[in-house]
Amino acid sequence: MLFKVRPAAKEDCKEISRMILELASYENMTDQVKITHEELERDGFCPNPFFECLVAEVPEEHQSKEGVTIVGYALYFYTYSTWKGRSVYLEDLYVMTEFRGKGIGKGLLSKVAEVGKKKQCVRLQLSVLDWNAPSRDFYAAKGAQDLTDSEGWHILRFDGRDLDNLANEAPED
Amino acid sequence: MDFSIRAANVEDCKDIARMIVELSEYEKVADQVKVTQRDLEQDGFSKNPFFHGIVAEVPEQHKTKDGHTKIGYALYFYSYSSMSGRAVYMEDLYVMPDFRGKGIGKALMSKVAQLGLAAGCNQLNFTVLDWNKQSLDFYFSQGSVDVTASMGYHCMRCEGEALEHLAQP
Repeated sequence: MLFKVRPAAKEDCKEISRMILELASYENMTDQVKITHEELERDGFCPNPFFECLVAEVPEEHQSKEGVTIVGYALYFYTYSTWKGRSVYLEDLYVMTEFRGKGIGKGLLSKVAEVGKKKQCVRLQLSVLDWNAPSRDFYAAKGAQDLTDSEGWHILRFDGRDLDNLANEAPED
Repeated sequence: MDFSIRAANVEDCKDIARMIVELSEYEKVADQVKVTQRDLEQDGFSKNPFFHGIVAEVPEQHKTKDGHTKIGYALYFYSYSSMSGRAVYMEDLYVMPDFRGKGIGKALMSKVAQLGLAAGCNQLNFTVLDWNKQSLDFYFSQGSVDVTASMGYHCMRCEGEALEHLAQP
């Protein structure tokens, strides 16, 4: 099937938001989705964007049952490793169920790697849920290493009230 | 002990590079550090920086035996959660051994949290090695949660040849 991978435009945010919800539903986390297309428009298309996004588009004649032609996305941003330097972090990679198995996911992932390479990034990082075997297999097949298993890295987080409390204890300037 | 926390400037990169190596020695991976002072200058202080830094400084009378007054740092950058929006990621937090136990690490981390909140972030994320009990205890005592343990998130990475191969269309 023909498809095109291109940088997202501000107008794509409604479709990206739709797909974020679909991905969250697959991850059993729909109640955790707090942002809408408005935040995506504000945060991805401002002078210092918080993220970049690619979308996968199919021609009209291959539109989904609901009539959409934007059938996948990859959302990513630049990070830094104090050991190795510039890196890119893949926050989301998603292809609608009916469009899987056609190389679209691989197309999106490769494009993120290519974009990162142009910016001299030496690493591409992401996180995957431990029960998500299809995704773990997909990334392992592309040469990704599981650093939690191999080196013992754990992700820690402050949010909500704990984050507020921490910030309130910052020294005066 | 008196100390101050301030935004890093390009002249601090020499001390930050020094402390990055010290931190990597503690994490047992000193031979893996490829980033130099010059990389930090270019990547942290250009028009679209890849990171931001804050440094902890003590007055001259408390300088180290090697004459350093910059004795801690935190390096962070903005990230994004497609579910909850703006976030901040703390890549490094380090205080020289002789200056620990004085609240400097806590102050650096709090400052990152404060800067993150001011920028509209609602998460502060970072990673810790599972054997690093001292750090894990510190972070848990401050109110962080381990999302690898609680939700099953695994960190994955592509680099070197695998990344080269992936970047080919």
